[in-house]
Amino acid sequence: MFTKNIHSRINIVLFVILLLFILIIFKVFYIQVIDYDNLYSKAEDLWSRNLPVEGDRGNIYDSTGVLIATNETRASLVIIPNQVTDKEETAKKLSEILNTNYEDMLKHVSKKTSIERVHPEGRRLNYEISSKISELNLPGVYLMKESKRYYPYDKMLSNSIGFVGVDNQGLSGLELTYDKYLTGSYGAIKYFSDAKGNRLKLNEIYVRPQSGMNITLTINFDIQSALERELNNAMDRYDADGAWGIVMNPNNGEILAISSRPNFAPSNYKDYTIEEINRNLPVWMTYEPGSTFKIITLSASLEEGIVDLYNDHFYDSGSIKVGGATIHCWKHGGHGDQTYLEVVQNSCNPGFVNLGLKLGKERLFKYIKNFGFGTKTGVDLNGEGSGIIFDVEHVGDLELATTAFGQGVSVTPIQQITAVSAAINGGILYKPYIVKSINEPETNTVVLENKPVKVRQVISNETSIKVRDALEKVVSLGTGRNAYIDGYRVGGKTGTAQKVSEGKYMVGNYIVSFMGFLPADNPKVIAYIAVDNAKGITQYGGTIAAPIAKNILLASIDALNIEDSDGGTEMRYTYLDKKYYTIPNVIGMEVKEARKALKNFKVEYSGTGNTVIYQSPSEGVRIKEGETVRLLVSE
Amino acid sequence: MKKFNMPLFISVILLSIFGIIMIYSSSYIWASFKYNNPYKYVINQGIFLVIGIFSMLYISKIDYHIYEKYSNKLLLICLILLILVLIPGVGTVRNGSRSWFGIGSFGIQPSEFTKLGLIIFTSKYLVNNDIKTFKNLFPILIIVFITFGLIMLQPDFGTGTIIVMSIMGLLFIGGMNMNFIAKGVIVGIVGIIGLILMAPYRLQRILSFLDPWSDPLGSGFQIIQSLYAIGPGGLLGMGFGNSIQKHFYLPEPQTDFIFSIISEEFGFMGVLIVSTLFLILIISGFIISKKSIDMFGKYLSYGITFQIAFQAILNLMVVVGLIPVTGVTLPFLSYGGSSLLITLCSIGIVLNISKNVY
Repeated sequence: MFTKNIHSRINIVLFVILLLFILIIFKVFYIQVIDYDNLYSKAEDLWSRNLPVEGDRGNIYDSTGVLIATNETRASLVIIPNQVTDKEETAKKLSEILNTNYEDMLKHVSKKTSIERVHPEGRRLNYEISSKISELNLPGVYLMKESKRYYPYDKMLSNSIGFVGVDNQGLSGLELTYDKYLTGSYGAIKYFSDAKGNRLKLNEIYVRPQSGMNITLTINFDIQSALERELNNAMDRYDADGAWGIVMNPNNGEILAISSRPNFAPSNYKDYTIEEINRNLPVWMTYEPGSTFKIITLSASLEEGIVDLYNDHFYDSGSIKVGGATIHCWKHGGHGDQTYLEVVQNSCNPGFVNLGLKLGKERLFKYIKNFGFGTKTGVDLNGEGSGIIFDVEHVGDLELATTAFGQGVSVTPIQQITAVSAAINGGILYKPYIVKSINEPETNTVVLENKPVKVRQVISNETSIKVRDALEKVVSLGTGRNAYIDGYRVGGKTGTAQKVSEGKYMVGNYIVSFMGFLPADNPKVIAYIAVDNAKGITQYGGTIAAPIAKNILLASIDALNIEDSDGGTEMRYTYLDKKYYTIPNVIGMEVKEARKALKNFKVEYSGTGNTVIYQSPSEGVRIKEGETVRLLVSE
Repeated sequence: MKKFNMPLFISVILLSIFGIIMIYSSSYIWASFKYNNPYKYVINQGIFLVIGIFSMLYISKIDYHIYEKYSNKLLLICLILLILVLIPGVGTVRNGSRSWFGIGSFGIQPSEFTKLGLIIFTSKYLVNNDIKTFKNLFPILIIVFITFGLIMLQPDFGTGTIIVMSIMGLLFIGGMNMNFIAKGVIVGIVGIIGLILMAPYRLQRILSFLDPWSDPLGSGFQIIQSLYAIGPGGLLGMGFGNSIQKHFYLPEPQTDFIFSIISEEFGFMGVLIVSTLFLILIISGFIISKKSIDMFGKYLSYGITFQIAFQAILNLMVVVGLIPVTGVTLPFLSYGGSSLLITLCSIGIVLNISKNVY
């Protein structure tokens, strides 16, 4: 009976033991099967050491696919101190190659850490240095791929693109604004190690780094190149304090080119002053626009119907009295009797004062605001200024008068070009932008795409047509003649503004500018150029800025394939100007006949014989009077 | 005379051989680091294994009634050794406990002998006393308490627990009144609370098992490292010798946490095999106990088997994170010479008992 009792209690104990074993087995099953992924990934993190592999920073392209910012492959020195067998020797050799302090290097190789990056002296090493290191085959010393930002065109677009720091992080410009898109993510070479950091003989796992996203700009490389070249020339020729320009598509706000002087080389940004690398003058600088602002007054007056350009007349005596002050015209003695179209052509200050007074301050300032002045345009470039315009309530007649011809207001170049774009494109103010799209590098999926943003309709299309016509006359018949391009209809407006320093106008120190666009009847491109304090020349927008704008417009014609147009106003030639003539076909003619047909040109010929078999330039090309036409003659 | 119980013998041999293989696999990294000799632990253990197996076979031939005769003396020797080991200079401290008699790199723990000695003593006591009455139960409880107290002075909580619990297991089948058991459980809980209050690190151990990640570098460290070994093992394991956790992540992987390395290298399959071997051993031992022709053999074979079962379960539950870390080794598999030797000798006794069954 007692034994039976013992046996039943043994059975109870055995039962409990079995239950506990089942519990243990279930727990193991849970750990090894159900919680496997979680524990495995955690354990793998514990076991694996990542040798970091940097992902490439995204490329920046112009709208035609030209690479403006990309990467060069470099190497980064990584040390796994636990695997370094001879610390002193390793430190000595590395410090010799890198030309750095031995003590510092010894600290790196002896540091109690799993992976030590030698920063910054061991970062972004070029091939020469890194191959020296890899030849040594030092245990625990690794070279990992890194990329270094590379700007193939050096200073091109530098103030807008910005630059990156030693960690490839964007520090200014688009590199900063779009840093999170451009930055790639780190990949790694994963190797397994024991708890002391020694490498285990297990296969390495390569985790591919992710490249950053690519940015496509609205910039047109050819126009940008032309702008850079022209600004360089202007700086050289006029020893100017600065120069800047913007080229835009007036019909959607796309910035086709933007640049300024001084500029900088992004790869050596440390060699420049903070002002040089941080100020993007075309969006940052604010100054009196001068006469280019008259386009605003003109547009407002036409829209409000207070003036008939072609029939209303204005008599300019050389000055006009407003609110007890006398405002002089830039032309001594005045322009005399003019139609308002001529007022625009001559950029006649008293004429515009009169328009301003007719409009009144409420109406004029309403247009000024609607054209976007006084507020940031919202362009996707950082550091934009908003400019200063008078508070309408405090505007007296004098302020109204000066504002009408562009004095006493302070605006940015980007505000001016977007406002004038609105004046000539049919009246629509667009938000300017430089980033066209951001694409994922592998699939090219569009991550972000900027579309034209219509801000508001400022003036009617009819008014815009009149503004274009008036501005075309400025170029063909008025102050903008230096921007005239034969065969194309060019519109434009000059500007010459005195700079203000400590509340006073500076003497002999101007910002001269020109706003030009073409074709005048259907604008495809608009360019704004300003030169700050040009020396050795009379500082007029027409003489300095207009020729620059012309060259840029010429480049735009090629870059954008703009067709030449008819029906424009022929340029009124002065004695200084040479006329353009179209070359006729002379091939097949006798030399005598050919000379006659080419009477407006200088003729040079080569070969022997009497019959023209080749001519250069060919038929239909327009060249200036007196320029050379070459002929090849034969029997 | 009958032959001894084959399933018990085979499961013990298989566990021991698997143990020595796993001690090699789990310890060679640690051994090469610590002693510059990867075979250090496996050789030590191998020597004890060979001695142990011969001792087991030899003891299986000795009539177990001899222990009944000398049980008092055996226990007395054990208690004297337990006192001696506490004296600095005589006993040496290893892993924080003064529980060793050091002979060179070999070490012997008197508490291991005491585990067997006390089972022999209790078995005899149960044969001679009806412990249904408190009067008869009390003396054996006192002896257990004294032994436990001596071991806790080392201190060695794990061994102390095993001794107390295996005697309780014996007293349970010895007819202990259920009332006493209930009271004992209460006393036990109070005692545990008391011990925790005495040494707060025990509380931290308890808390760390509930959420080891709350203190990953402190009290939760061992259990996390154990889970990192078991988890990645998956169903089939990483293969023999391929454990990563033994590469210094799990300290002293050949001792308390060897089951983690087994799980890592052989996966769930390995766990099932080891568990099956232990269950064969336990069931065989209990069958021997049930069939034993006399009461002493019954108690003794049950006591020895129960102790191995309890210790194995305690170790496995710690390793898989079911209970707090207690510092108990896994019989036959964990590194530990004297432990293996005594366990094999105990099995020898059970094998001898198995020769005298109905």
